[in-house]
Amino acid sequence: MAAPCRHVGHHIKRNGRFLRINLDQLFASRGLRWTSALQQQGEEVHEESKEPIVIPRKKSWSSEAVLEALASTVHRDPTAYPYQFQDDPYLSPRTSSEFKLFSLSQESGRAAAKYFVSNNPKFFTKDFAEPHIPCLMPESVTLRLEEVSEEALKERITLRKVSAAVEMYDQLLQAGTSVSMETTQELLDLICLYCDKNPVQEGAPEVEDAEEAGEETKRRKPKGRRAADHLRTSWKENNNAERIFNLLPEKDSRCYSALIRGMVKHGAYSKAFSLYTDLLNNRLSADVHTFNALISAVPDVRDKFNERWDLITELLNQMNEQKVRPNLLTFNSVLKALRRCGFLAKTYAPQTLNEMKALGIAPSLATYDHILAVFYKSGSSGPNNTDIIQDMLTELEGTSFTCRDPHDVYFFSSAMRICLDSKDLELGYKVHSLVEVGDNWRLLGDSYQQSVYYGRFFSLLCMMEHIDVVLKWYSRIIPSLYYPNPQGMRDLLQALDTDGRLDLLPTIWKDIKTLGHDNKVDLVEELLSLMAREEHSPEVQESFAACALDVKSVFDGRSSMEWSTSSLSHVTTLLLRANKLQQAWDMLLLFKAKNRVPSEVLLNNFLSVCQSSGAPKRAVELVQLAAAFCLPATPVLAKTALAEFQLTDEQRSILSEFEAAPEKETE
Amino acid sequence: MHRLLSRTVVAARNRSLCVYECCVLPAKIDNVSRPFTGVGANTISTCTVRRCEKKDDAIPSNQGEATNVDTETKTTQLQEELLEANDGGSTQQQRNVKAEQVLSKPSQVKTDGAKSGKKSLLDLLGAMKVEVTSKRKLKNLKTKQSFESAVQYKSKSGAMESTISMFQKANVQDSAQSEVLDPDLVAAASAAASTLPNRSRAESELLKQLRQRKTLTEAQKKGDINNLGVLIADMKVGKTGRQNAWPADQIRFDDDGQGYTRDRGITSELANVRKRRNIFPTKRLNIFSPTTDEQRGDSALAKPTLWDMDFANELSLTTNQMPRNGFEEMIQWTKEGKLWHYPINNEIGLENEASVPFNEHVFLEKHLEEGFPRQGPVRHFMELVVAGLSRNPYLTVQQKKEHISWFRDYFHQKEEVLNEADVYLN
Repeated sequence: MAAPCRHVGHHIKRNGRFLRINLDQLFASRGLRWTSALQQQGEEVHEESKEPIVIPRKKSWSSEAVLEALASTVHRDPTAYPYQFQDDPYLSPRTSSEFKLFSLSQESGRAAAKYFVSNNPKFFTKDFAEPHIPCLMPESVTLRLEEVSEEALKERITLRKVSAAVEMYDQLLQAGTSVSMETTQELLDLICLYCDKNPVQEGAPEVEDAEEAGEETKRRKPKGRRAADHLRTSWKENNNAERIFNLLPEKDSRCYSALIRGMVKHGAYSKAFSLYTDLLNNRLSADVHTFNALISAVPDVRDKFNERWDLITELLNQMNEQKVRPNLLTFNSVLKALRRCGFLAKTYAPQTLNEMKALGIAPSLATYDHILAVFYKSGSSGPNNTDIIQDMLTELEGTSFTCRDPHDVYFFSSAMRICLDSKDLELGYKVHSLVEVGDNWRLLGDSYQQSVYYGRFFSLLCMMEHIDVVLKWYSRIIPSLYYPNPQGMRDLLQALDTDGRLDLLPTIWKDIKTLGHDNKVDLVEELLSLMAREEHSPEVQESFAACALDVKSVFDGRSSMEWSTSSLSHVTTLLLRANKLQQAWDMLLLFKAKNRVPSEVLLNNFLSVCQSSGAPKRAVELVQLAAAFCLPATPVLAKTALAEFQLTDEQRSILSEFEAAPEKETE
Repeated sequence: MHRLLSRTVVAARNRSLCVYECCVLPAKIDNVSRPFTGVGANTISTCTVRRCEKKDDAIPSNQGEATNVDTETKTTQLQEELLEANDGGSTQQQRNVKAEQVLSKPSQVKTDGAKSGKKSLLDLLGAMKVEVTSKRKLKNLKTKQSFESAVQYKSKSGAMESTISMFQKANVQDSAQSEVLDPDLVAAASAAASTLPNRSRAESELLKQLRQRKTLTEAQKKGDINNLGVLIADMKVGKTGRQNAWPADQIRFDDDGQGYTRDRGITSELANVRKRRNIFPTKRLNIFSPTTDEQRGDSALAKPTLWDMDFANELSLTTNQMPRNGFEEMIQWTKEGKLWHYPINNEIGLENEASVPFNEHVFLEKHLEEGFPRQGPVRHFMELVVAGLSRNPYLTVQQKKEHISWFRDYFHQKEEVLNEADVYLN
């Protein structure tokens, strides 16, 4: 049997080459047939399905298309720092204040560099870039045209030098040169926008003037820096804008528009309305921006809700008469004004939304935010009817938004507030899934808004969700997106307590330390009381004791933190449960040093641990300590110690003294 | 598409390998190699896959004796099996004839083989026959043949009953390809049934089977066509063929890599209910008329005012514009103009020449119209120059023109010399 087999093997070996060639041939011919068959099949398909072939249009890609595609492949790494800090390991924020500090210093460093380059162009004359990159070269920020001419005025306007521009305009008028209408309009725009004050150049060093400096720091604050800037500057009677406006021989609607917008922006609401009447008397028509400004000013010029709404409808009707098409901002300002119209709002806000939709204007997030604000008052408690927000989220599901109104960034945090108020977890997830669509996360706003949003989301999770899911979210958003405040950490502790996962407390303590909340005494105390509340398995007790020692070292390191009796006794209890007698004894000494009195239960505990670990000397010392505190329990302790410990005579005599002492006193 | 193709090709290659080994190795197995020459090799390949699967790697390397033994036993097994199946030698021959007839479209057989590689041997034979006979022009011939073969088998002994049923099935299958109402077929089926003991029942079963087969094959055919349509659409036209590919209630796979879309259960249904209902009553303010005027255009055309710039600035300040990764930062830099543009087509960096059409670059003869002779060596030289220039991608059109005009000046300067040499410019 074997021989023929071997024979066959040899045969194969010998013919191996021949075989391979044949195989190749076979394969090649097969391939050919396969393609021809495919073609035939394809033809059949074409015969049977008579669908016309639509030749696709040529696609035009934006120049960032490749980069966008690449960027979409990179997902967020929850363990990494935000990208802007990855360059410099020294700038790795661990707390929210560090985050704020680092990002602001990064920004202001850039601004300062730009300021320096722009103000000292003579040092930056060499152009290394090939081809030329304009934004790397110094911008011209200083005036070059010195002579009195319209060109010089235009230069001052483009450089936004308000006072210099006004000066130049006056000089031009005195010289009798007429300034073209367009330049005048631009000048008025400039003055009205900045309320007759020079805007602060970005990155400029802080001025010595106290008031100015205050304004500067205010401006630097991330939250509403612009608003803060402009609220301080109020429209003054007969300022340059009004003066120039009054001097104009003929006024067109754009001049009116500039003034009205400036007045509304800088708080001169009733003046704006009187100017608007003036405009109407001159038989001019206002533009959409003027109307938007006026509508947003309505709540400030009328007191009663009815009057407010009547004025708004009047303005809208005038818009329609003047054939002005409203835009998104028109309706957003109507809704914003409606927020201050009390009971009327609930009737008219939906109607406004329907009007928008009828006109084909897509609502922005700000629109929805206003409507939510109308229907959900922040103060109200108890179970809200969440139908409206439910419907809204269903409608918005999966939509990607771009910012079209500065108010857009408030939507997500207020929607999450409603979820938190109504304790609706599913709704919260819906809101969050909307945040995760496309670039919607950009609409969470600046870091402050973002932390508000995530804070609400996290508290909602802690309140309603199972602890495992909470911890999953915890690792996902903390600290890469959100630095929780002490309240957030307390929520987490409560969630851990509710679901009985107290064994995780030492890890949470580490996070608390990293987040810089270890100086919040009440938070630390809550942690300690949770740990000391009940007994756990020896391993857990061991880790708790280590954690307690860590807490102790934090207390020791900070003079600002005061030991309270409860936290001292919690730490001692934890150490006793882990049989760390020496450290527990140190804690007892700390009681004395801090003038706190240990409880009787604690001392009894200590004594029993002494007994179980066979430390009679420590027991005697304990009784002595108790006596030093003048505790009423001293005789009982002494009696127990005498009864249960193997003592030397000397120790015995000491103890019996304590045992008898109070009796003597009572006698 | 590619994956599918390559998979089938690989499968085919393996199979052919096995077949070839089966044919070449033991010279004794005449039964195998003889009836299945040519396309026959293709068809039998489908049957032998299963048997030769394990040998795939062992045989070509040609290692020890053990392998050889294994091979031989297996091949003999195969041989026996085939012999059993080939008991009715005449039918086999007939089929062979048919196979040769179908030689023009053998790949169909192959694709079928690829599909049914895991079926049992008997099923394979049947299916193979179906495929073979699926050609319309052969329909009549084939049905008759199979009918005959079936009849032949019926006349055989009871020991062959399993084989008979198999061929009945094959018969049924092949006739299923044609119209159910084809009288020939019905006749064939009834004839086949007449040889069985329970005649009427067998006939109705056969016809039922016919109809079932027909619907099945139709469905499969359509499915194939759909697949192919999708493939073609993917290649050229777009995703037109896919729209109704998924039934609404099926779990769908998310394109964006999130995995399976979550089943949201009853809440999603509620949401759908809600979607139909409007949030608020449809009443509106009725101030504006919903006419779409063209007035929107003029605001866009107007130069952005200071207010517009301020508004845009405010928008960018309120949103979070921080880049999340290096690519987003690069996008930012590209927008600021700090970064070289990533090429999105092969005309990137053509800023200077973007408005110049290609013919300006390539057809330069028109610049020879004036200042150069119509014929002669100068003309010949200049044509060569122009031909060279038209292929030069590195010069701008302006530079090319300058180049030509330099020659024009040059030849005019040397006019005397040229005249002496009897070469005239005009």
